[in-house]
Amino acid sequence: MSELHIRHLYHRYGVTEVLADVGLDLYAGETLALVGPSGCGKSTLLHIIAGLLTPSEVVMQSTFRGLACVFQEPRLMPWKTTADNIALGLKALGVPKTARQRQAAALAQRMGLAPEDLAKYPHELSGGMQSRVSLARALAIKPDLLLLDEPFSALDIGLKAELYRQLEEQVQQQGTAVLMITHDLMEAVRLADRILMMVPDPGRMVYEFTLQQPQAERSSTWVYQTTAELMQVREVRIGFGLDEGELPVQISHHEQHSGCSV
Amino acid sequence: MSPLRSLHNALGATLAYLWSGWGAVASILLFCALWELGGRVYGDLVLPGPVATLQQLSGMFDSGQALPELIISARRALYGLGLALGIGTLLGLLAGRSMTAAMMSRPLVTLLLGMPPIAWLVLAMLWFGMGDATPVFTVFIACFPIAFAGAMQGGRTLDNKLKDVALAYRLPWRMLLTDLYLPHITSYLFPAWITALGTSWKVVVMAELLTTVDGVGAALAVSRAQLDTASSLGWIVAVLGLLLAFEYLLLEPIKRRVERWRTEPGP
Ligand SMILES: Nc1ncnc2c1ncn2[C@@H]1O[C@H](COP(=O)(O)OP(=O)(O)O)[C@@H](O)[C@H]1O
Ligand SMILES: [Mg+2]
Repeated sequence: MSELHIRHLYHRYGVTEVLADVGLDLYAGETLALVGPSGCGKSTLLHIIAGLLTPSEVVMQSTFRGLACVFQEPRLMPWKTTADNIALGLKALGVPKTARQRQAAALAQRMGLAPEDLAKYPHELSGGMQSRVSLARALAIKPDLLLLDEPFSALDIGLKAELYRQLEEQVQQQGTAVLMITHDLMEAVRLADRILMMVPDPGRMVYEFTLQQPQAERSSTWVYQTTAELMQVREVRIGFGLDEGELPVQISHHEQHSGCSV
Repeated sequence: MSPLRSLHNALGATLAYLWSGWGAVASILLFCALWELGGRVYGDLVLPGPVATLQQLSGMFDSGQALPELIISARRALYGLGLALGIGTLLGLLAGRSMTAAMMSRPLVTLLLGMPPIAWLVLAMLWFGMGDATPVFTVFIACFPIAFAGAMQGGRTLDNKLKDVALAYRLPWRMLLTDLYLPHITSYLFPAWITALGTSWKVVVMAELLTTVDGVGAALAVSRAQLDTASSLGWIVAVLGLLLAFEYLLLEPIKRRVERWRTEPGP
């Protein structure tokens, strides 16, 4: 089974320490939500896992082979049509043109895009459509590790629900591991098997929350209740600035999750 | 993309292009009307009207006088332009890749762009004499900074975010080139190339006027010496006509095709 382990991750931009002693574990088929206030280094962590940024210091071990990334902004190639943008990763894998166009069209449909959107350029799409194209581009390569950076923040409630379903399907059918950044606690509670809370200055993990309830049995009521419960946790309240208080920097959480498995 | 939709798009683009062409034709006709008016006021000796000029020009073509000269000039302009675009684009892209090179070359580009072509012409006459090399060199040196600056801009402005996408999706180097660098850079290169084309054509005529015994510029010098205003205007119209034709019939359609993704959606 594929897994990812990170320990003692430090990252500095210049002299500012952005991540300090971060560690996490992720296993195939598991959805891990990373929550925390803006600027606490979530995106930075994601870029490091994606191999786009070399951290100052890290012990990282990963057996995932196919990694796909949905960035915080859609980041579509402006000179490519929707279909070609979705098929970008497939093209890189050497999938023939007709096959990848077919797959792109199917995925676009799953994402709720109309057939005529396929020939449009990004500047002709709304923000929400662009994020769906970006998500489709990631799902197209059938990754075993999916990194999502606030992928649903530009979408309305109905579309969100639909895409949650698509994501769950992906995880169930293909055993994809998902690392999802969000600042929406309710979204985290709905989708994740585990939630990690990060706080800034320097960016670090302060709290871990495991959700035992199977995905299928998560009713809206349960989601509301659990979110409310989570909102009472001291670390979460302080982390999001709801309560005054200090969270000690010298926390090493590694022992806490070293026993975690699915 | 369905073939029907792309056909529809292509048709729409062509129609839009033709329509924009009407605007251009209308403004040219307006210009001709003013020109005719000027001709009426000042008389044929000072300013022959457009009809007289075109008659003179067609006479020049009929007598086999115009075409060879135009071809000679075009050849010189294209040699110089080709060299400038090739070398300028290549060096510009290289300079765009490095911050230091870009910073060092910026004042040089400003210097080169600011230097009047006539100054280069004088130097070229001293270095290369009165042959073909002088106009070709002058065209080259006038167009080089334009191509260089355009390419450097393109290289510098490539979005790091898109580069990250390319890395995350493991684009092989060939795709990096065809799917990322080239489409981005072309959108900077094309306008620069069109500017360079106009410059090359102007500069070659100027260079020929002062240095060579053949080409449009030389012919202009002769008609000036003979106080033949109609022929002078005929040559000028020929030069302008060629430039307009080249730009609007060849480069502009290519540019529109290459930059489809930039144009706003039609109504
Ligand atoms: N390229 C960069 N250079 C310098 N500082 C950066 C850069 N990117 C992000 N930062 C800083 O690092 C911190 C974490 O940023 P980020 O990872 O984007 O946070 P988040 O995604 O949690 O909102 C912020 O304080 C931000 O200002
Ligand atoms: Mg972020």
